[in-house]
Amino acid sequence: MQDLVKIQDLSLIYQSIDSETTALSDINLTIRKQEFVSIVGPSGCGKTTILSLVAGLLKPTTGKITILDKTPNPKDDLAGYMFQRDNLLPWRTIEKNIYFGLEIKHKKTHDRKAFALSLAEKYGLKDFLKKHPSELSGGMRQRVALIRTLALQPELLLLDEPFSALDYQTRLELCDHIYEIIKKEKKTAILVTHDIFEAITMSDTIYVLSARPGTIKAIHQPKFDKNLTPFERRKTEKAKELFDIIWQEIQNEKQKIQ
Amino acid sequence: MKNKKFSKTHYDYLNKYRAKKLLVLLTQISILLLFLFAWEYLTKYEIISSFFFSSPSKIVKTIGQLFKSGELILHSKITLSETLIGFAIATGIGFVVAFVLWYSDFLRRVLEPYLVVLNSLPKIALGPIIIIWFGAGSKAIVFMCILIVIIVTIMNILNSFTSCDKQLIALAKSLGANKMQIFFKLILPNSLKDIVATLKINVGLSWIGAIMGEYLVSKAGLGYLLIYGGQVFNLNLVMTATVVLCILASVMYFAVALFEKLMQKLYQ
Repeated sequence: MQDLVKIQDLSLIYQSIDSETTALSDINLTIRKQEFVSIVGPSGCGKTTILSLVAGLLKPTTGKITILDKTPNPKDDLAGYMFQRDNLLPWRTIEKNIYFGLEIKHKKTHDRKAFALSLAEKYGLKDFLKKHPSELSGGMRQRVALIRTLALQPELLLLDEPFSALDYQTRLELCDHIYEIIKKEKKTAILVTHDIFEAITMSDTIYVLSARPGTIKAIHQPKFDKNLTPFERRKTEKAKELFDIIWQEIQNEKQKIQ
Repeated sequence: MKNKKFSKTHYDYLNKYRAKKLLVLLTQISILLLFLFAWEYLTKYEIISSFFFSSPSKIVKTIGQLFKSGELILHSKITLSETLIGFAIATGIGFVVAFVLWYSDFLRRVLEPYLVVLNSLPKIALGPIIIIWFGAGSKAIVFMCILIVIIVTIMNILNSFTSCDKQLIALAKSLGANKMQIFFKLILPNSLKDIVATLKINVGLSWIGAIMGEYLVSKAGLGYLLIYGGQVFNLNLVMTATVVLCILASVMYFAVALFEKLMQKLYQ
């Protein structure tokens, strides 16, 4: 598969009045099309910063990021960002929320709308289009947020802990749902998460970051039977073994801070 | 929904709800009637002085006289137009200024202390200056009205603009939205409730502004009637002007409330 994202010698320094903080240093990685990548690491290691950089919301201090050989820019349609919270606009119906991205990008054409609606229908939101976000459960709302992102047909999905605001049951369910949607729509994804099992069961490649300044500490490529859902993978021995390894790696990093 | 059959318990619930609503309304009307009756009775038998307290019947009579002579319409019209003009200008300019201050972080930071000082200044203190600048007429009254309304409008609306959920703005930015898009798609719909609340406050404030202006300088208007009535000890006139004022202010308030309902429907 073709390379989609390239990150070379990336570093980022945050400036504030009291100090400057090196959030990331020396990051090098390449992501292929349709690869599912996860980034895990101790709190404050710059996981979300990487997503902001790939989305083009931040400029790297040094180094280079390209998506299909282009510098990331939020005005492009290459990357779609999905947040921890669904961020649905409470005054809009579900249908109008799904069109929000299209409106901002001036792409609310008949075809695009039809495509967005077909996604909503395909993934079980058809009966809720005229409802308001407050009438939907947390898991459903997050699915609406995903469809809002997919409506723009991005190559790359940036998932910033999209399950962490949900209760455990919903979280496991939605994990399977979203995994299925991403695979069916043949998207590339970068997932930032605190949940090691989530990373193991969804990803082709897992990058473990060190404590601040974040650098790549370890890389894992779990190989599972393609037909297993993330939930089924959770129960395998392989997942448990890998969990212990990554857990220890992160634990070691945490001790460095203390 | 209208043709749907409900269960008996639901009908019971609805009946109870309606009964409660009716009870509130009846009590409200009873209080008003009781008040008017007591006022009329006490002044009729001079238990309290009808000279100092006037009476409902005298007020009705005075309203009738003023209406016949055309004075009621004249004075009401003048005060109402001053209030409406002041309300519209202050709300409009206040909204635009709030938008500019939201748009420019620099200007907001520069102007903040000035706004705070202007807000705490009692505007009536500027009365003499206003008279000198605008002359003793309607212009000065409208200006007083604007002055009283505008600062509160700016502060309330700006406060609402800047309190939009940062996460929603982050989402819009991740989609490449520019500042105008953020304003029209997020900030404005998010602030609608607060804007309507500000309008309601402004109704009250603009009446205060107009009456205060008329206290300072005027040859006509309800505020003029109040001052004049007080000076010649004609309490009938004072009470009558107050009642008319009450009615006009309520009508304006309900107009805003109606506008609120309309907006809610539009955005649902």
